Amino acid sequence: MISSIVSPLLAGTEPTIQELADQVKLDSQVLTEQFYFYTVVVMWLIHVGFMAYEGGVARRKNLMSTAMKNILTIAVVTPSFYYFGWYVYGCFEEGWPKSGHASPDALPGFCGLTAPWSAGLGPNLQDHVSLVFFLAFLLFSWTTGSIMSGALIERVRLSAYLLLTVVLGSFVWILDAAWGWSSGGWLVTRFGFHDAIASLVVHGVAGAFAFGVLLNLGPRIGKYDASGRARSFRPHNLHMTLMGLMLIFTGFYGFYAACLVIQSTAFPGWLNIYLSPTTLGAIAMVITFGFAGGFTGGWFASKGDPFWTLSGGLAGVIAVSAGADVYHPSLAYLLSASGGMLAVWAGGWIERTLRVDDAVGAVAVHGVCGFYGVFLVGIFAGGYPTGINNVPVSFGGQLMGMLAFLPLAFLPGYGVSWLLKKANLLRVPPEVELEGIDLAEFQQDFYPEFERVPEVIVTPDGRAVEAGPILLEDYRAVIRPGR
Amino acid sequence: MFDSFPYDEWSEDIADFWAWGGANSTGTYIMVALGFILMVAALYGFVILERGKLERQAEALRGAAGAGPTPPANPTGTV
Repeated sequence: MISSIVSPLLAGTEPTIQELADQVKLDSQVLTEQFYFYTVVVMWLIHVGFMAYEGGVARRKNLMSTAMKNILTIAVVTPSFYYFGWYVYGCFEEGWPKSGHASPDALPGFCGLTAPWSAGLGPNLQDHVSLVFFLAFLLFSWTTGSIMSGALIERVRLSAYLLLTVVLGSFVWILDAAWGWSSGGWLVTRFGFHDAIASLVVHGVAGAFAFGVLLNLGPRIGKYDASGRARSFRPHNLHMTLMGLMLIFTGFYGFYAACLVIQSTAFPGWLNIYLSPTTLGAIAMVITFGFAGGFTGGWFASKGDPFWTLSGGLAGVIAVSAGADVYHPSLAYLLSASGGMLAVWAGGWIERTLRVDDAVGAVAVHGVCGFYGVFLVGIFAGGYPTGINNVPVSFGGQLMGMLAFLPLAFLPGYGVSWLLKKANLLRVPPEVELEGIDLAEFQQDFYPEFERVPEVIVTPDGRAVEAGPILLEDYRAVIRPGR
Repeated sequence: MFDSFPYDEWSEDIADFWAWGGANSTGTYIMVALGFILMVAALYGFVILERGKLERQAEALRGAAGAGPTPPANPTGTV
């Protein structure tokens, strides 16, 4: 705005109305550009957080292999999202690209700007928005990969994870975003599907994809005893895990902000992803009360367990994200408390009843609560007009989105991991898993100054015992011919 | 503010220079193709490099222990 005042003064002339209008337009575009740029900076903290979170949960022998997954997510998702992921978002909104790659009706010209050779994805002094908008979505893509990452730690091959995260981060999630998280998506324009801050399209989908992978990956050696009861591995550094979660939470403010569209020259200045009006303050209140309710629910449902208290905060926010643009803070507080509780109960059910070894509870926190969040909008925000067609939110519309996205996420996760498993490329050899992946991948221990203590495992009845004999026994069962 | 500067002409020149031909040009197509090839090659490389490391380590562990791998509680820190 300063330039529109200073420019005519420097020139010594009275500006015309047209000149002032051009200045305001340019200032607005630069404001938008700065806004998305800084959301990207803040969202980096999500990935710092995921790295610390998962690294802390891992046993000492798997620390660096766990962290390296988060780092190399950036190395593979960035180019793949650039070369084809963004095109999927721009051109698949109505299901499949139109003939001749014409843009969706809701966003004229958008499809053509999403190809990597287009003016929208290269240096272009006339376009302040396309590249930063792309970057914000790229950070969302990294997030989907990191959500899956934690579930698979301590036995998945790094390369298998990277291939899976390309499928998830650069195709699966962005296809569902095109369908249900854009103003022209067919679920939005036809059914009023409403998931304002991505409960389902980011979190739920990543959780469902991860669940499909976990079914093929199998549990860590020693996770279940002969009768199928779950043992627990001790995190090697719970402080690091909790700090990582707090960093994720900090990054979430950037994530929430990046889900909005600035329209600084028209009331009320902000739009949600469906181009319906909202404010930054409204969603910031919901996220804050979401943490408060989620921590509370997680604390009580887990009887004060530190890990599940913080995970409950994450689950609480995810449970209210879908309606963050319309919820009252008190409603967000109530609903997020239920989300925090749900995550704890779902995590226990997945681990003990389904016998699926999700090392960080990602399926419960992101998957279950992601779907739960969209479900809640159908109840508590029914009738709210969504998108450029103003289609009212309805329970049926929300259900349609859930029914579309569950197979869209689960089947690719299951299918690709099944192929990797058949090629013996999904899981590290059992000998390497037992000794620790870091020694195989990096030939070193990453706490060289610290004395090693015997690894401990917690039995189903809650006793902490030395892990070595249990792991060796389970290893022998794993390598036994015929299994 | 920049009325005295040939802004439009200058920006077109810069855009062409930055993109080695601008949007939808042969130069840009070639760069995109090369980048895509690097991405695919890197993914293939991640798989091959890791497979070699894991197989060597697993083989060493099987060979060294005979009856089984070293107990996990006390890795040596070196291979």
